[in-house]
Amino acid sequence: MSPLLIVVVLSIVIGLLMIVLFGYTSDQKAIGIAKDQLKAHLLAVRLYRDQLHVVMGSYGKVLRGTGRYLKLAFKPLLYVIIPITLMIVWLDRSLGLTAIQTNTPFLMTAHVDDPQALDNISIDLPPGIEASAPPVHISADNEVVWRLVATQEGTYDVKIAVAGQTVTKSVRVTTQLAQLSPERWRDHLWQRLFSSGESALPQNSAVESIVVDYPERNIPLGVAGYEMNWIWLFFILSMIAGFIFKELLGIKV
Amino acid sequence: MYKSSNSVGSKGIRTASLLLLLAVVLAPSTAHAYAGPGAGFAVLSSFWAIFVAFLYSFYALATWPVRQLFRFFRRRNAYGKAVFDRAVILGFDGMDPDLAERFMNEGRLPNLAKLRDRGTFNKLRTTFPAISPVAWSTFMTGVNPGKHNIYDFLACDRNHYLPFLSSAEIKGPKRQIKIGKYSIPFGKTEIKAMRKGTPFWHWLGKAGIFSSVIRVPVTFPPEKFQGVLLSGMCVPDLKGSQGTFCLCTTRAQGDKFREGGVRAPIDRKNGVYHAYVPGPDNPLAETAGHEMRVDYEIRPNVAEKTAKLKVGSEEFTLKVGEYSEWTPIEFKAGLGFNAHGICRFYLKEVSPEVEVYVTPVNIDPGHPDLPISHPVTYSIYLAKLYGAYATLGLAEDTWALNEHVLDDDAFLAQAYGNHEDREKMLFDALDKTRQGLCTCVFDTTDRIQHMFWRYLEEDHPAAREVPKSERKEVIQDLYQRMDKLIGRVMEKIDDDTLLMVISDHGFKSFARCMNLNAWLHQNGYLALKEGKTESGDWFEDVDWSKTRAYTMGLNGLYLNLKGREKQGTVDPSEAETLKAEIKEKLTGLKDPDSGAVGITGVFITGNVYRGPYSENAPDILVGYGAGYRASWDSVMGKVTEKIFEDNLKAWSGDHCIDPRLVPGVLFSSHKFTEEKPAIVDVAPTMLKLFGLPLPSHFDGKPWSLAPVAGKTPAPAPAT
Repeated sequence: MSPLLIVVVLSIVIGLLMIVLFGYTSDQKAIGIAKDQLKAHLLAVRLYRDQLHVVMGSYGKVLRGTGRYLKLAFKPLLYVIIPITLMIVWLDRSLGLTAIQTNTPFLMTAHVDDPQALDNISIDLPPGIEASAPPVHISADNEVVWRLVATQEGTYDVKIAVAGQTVTKSVRVTTQLAQLSPERWRDHLWQRLFSSGESALPQNSAVESIVVDYPERNIPLGVAGYEMNWIWLFFILSMIAGFIFKELLGIKV
Repeated sequence: MYKSSNSVGSKGIRTASLLLLLAVVLAPSTAHAYAGPGAGFAVLSSFWAIFVAFLYSFYALATWPVRQLFRFFRRRNAYGKAVFDRAVILGFDGMDPDLAERFMNEGRLPNLAKLRDRGTFNKLRTTFPAISPVAWSTFMTGVNPGKHNIYDFLACDRNHYLPFLSSAEIKGPKRQIKIGKYSIPFGKTEIKAMRKGTPFWHWLGKAGIFSSVIRVPVTFPPEKFQGVLLSGMCVPDLKGSQGTFCLCTTRAQGDKFREGGVRAPIDRKNGVYHAYVPGPDNPLAETAGHEMRVDYEIRPNVAEKTAKLKVGSEEFTLKVGEYSEWTPIEFKAGLGFNAHGICRFYLKEVSPEVEVYVTPVNIDPGHPDLPISHPVTYSIYLAKLYGAYATLGLAEDTWALNEHVLDDDAFLAQAYGNHEDREKMLFDALDKTRQGLCTCVFDTTDRIQHMFWRYLEEDHPAAREVPKSERKEVIQDLYQRMDKLIGRVMEKIDDDTLLMVISDHGFKSFARCMNLNAWLHQNGYLALKEGKTESGDWFEDVDWSKTRAYTMGLNGLYLNLKGREKQGTVDPSEAETLKAEIKEKLTGLKDPDSGAVGITGVFITGNVYRGPYSENAPDILVGYGAGYRASWDSVMGKVTEKIFEDNLKAWSGDHCIDPRLVPGVLFSSHKFTEEKPAIVDVAPTMLKLFGLPLPSHFDGKPWSLAPVAGKTPAPAPAT
């Protein structure tokens, strides 16, 4: 299935689900009143534009009204923010990045705690992946960068040895849509949650993170050669779907 | 202590939650922060609102000095000579000076008494006739009816002997395109104002003085001027009528309502009751009479005396004797043509029968299909600020009470509901208009006195069966309520504001009806077709070839004049003699049953009106005596056998009588020296107080303020 079609279908389904969820979990009457009040204060600025006290007062009321409105949107947001964030992260690993292609060089970067460890770091490449240049040590950043190239499609574990310990990083080589894990982290729960599909590196490892620079995927729109990151496309399409569904279902947002 | 710390704690949590939300939503570091279209709309809407408000405010602020400079020169003519920064005029339609004085003397109206003691209290001479659209038109234009063209609610089509609305003419688009079964109107609906003359707030606006004008009668269609205006009396409902209620009922269909309402059957299917709200005719239908309808469901709960109503996407539960909120109604004509209205539902009964009263479908102020304000956004602004409100000119459903569809309490709940909305609008206008004119007319005083005068009198025919113990002091409560309103207004104003409380006319009892058409018939001025002793409505069975005079409406009497009426019989050269003859016979006419004088004054309009529209006036105005008024049948052009009869309807007080008997009131916060003020003087007085010259066509004379120590009275106006 093409990434464009997946994004379109997802946008419509999620647009519908989120609007329905918003409708059920929000105080629809209060949201309607809050929005109406905002509109009223905006209109007041226009109707009484020669009355400076009205203009300034209404502007203040717009700011306060916006705060009230966002507060009302907070409760439904609580219901949706965690599942949808996790879902977007999960989808981003497939739709946001392109897997490594055969015979196309890519970089793998390991970040260590101690710059001296860089002197003893080594890489063990599985069959199907080769180094296309000597590693580059960047002592100032505690990093070593390998330039690699894959000769065959597949899922590989690249081993990195340092200070007597070996850690691995998966590398996916394929032309198909695939779940990718661009980073592997030792700590940084937040980074692991958003950027990694692998388990954490061992706590006693000298390696803090390993990053494979999967290229970003832009989805061709099929119109005059335009491309777009999936998340923006999803944002636009789900908003359009949401707008249509909210009108159809009479849900105030 | 505990409560306090807990409150602080929960406030802290709320603040932290809000900050967290703002951090997540307003400052997304990655696109991951997007949490679906609901949140997306919330964020976008908020930013949009702030952005637009900022743009508006920035524009207003940036251009303010230029506009102020521009106005500075213009305002030197207005505020430079103005005696007050602001004038606030509260119109209490129909407030009666005698009742006001009585209640003040009883100590029931402390705020009005304050105005009387410190400023002015006087009777305010009204117009001929003393009818609201006439009097308020004179109030705003400062001229007699011959110059503003309003003589009654209804005017007479002399070609067809039929009435038409005197204040506005609404015509659909002239061209139509036929597509299949549809006939699509092409072009705009034309709304023509029939009231002529220029309201005084237009003169103020030209001088750079801002006005807020709320619900002054005969301001539909709204006209452009510098200020905001919400139209009042004479705004139609969505059907184009002056208010058509609907009684939805499972009862076998009864008699047709005389006027103002229709019955709609409720059908029962599978335990659910189905009814409909009748709407306007479908504008796409090839022929007239295809009424659009909105269906709704009723699910009664007999044990709890409630019913759940489902109207479109709105669902609500009502107790018996309870009104719904204003509910949006959308009539679908097809091809995307919709008419937007609002109405309220009142649950009358759930057992043994099911009955729901539906108010006339008002034009939706938040989505007006016809302009009801200037600018158009003003009605929308008020609807957004306070929620939907009644827009119909005669918003209090007097006919439903007359027809016993509503009882006293239901009518009062409706009337005071509208009144509360009006109060909110007034206080908003007071807050927004700190300089200039702020005027608001309240109809509650008129409607409630019309409908509850019967309880003021010992032996009113409409209340003979109601024991004294069950009679409520509705009118006294009404005056006290208005007094409290004045008290709240007085708290909002300072010495640089002039407060005036005026009414367009007073009130008297309406205990006896007089059918003037019957009198004309019995005195040989009006003829019926051979063998008929009565006519139908609108002169059905009248023999025009033998008729010399007829009446329709509340006070007007017309000659059947050759060359003017389609089947005129009276030669213009004989007209004055005939008018004098009728006047002589009618003046002092006695009611044979009581011996009281039924008609105290008859006025030939040629002597009363001056102006370019005098020819549209009735030929004679009939001034009924106190306790009398034109009968319901006579108003509708019907000839009956009896001339005098009791008025048994709840509509038991009236003012469409001899105007000398029903002056209005004038209260003001500052003392005027005028001894016999008239409503026609208000417009010139306002212009004078704002230091503007008076147009030469004004009929009213400006009042003068009594000198106050240390203050200079207003200079004499230029004309």
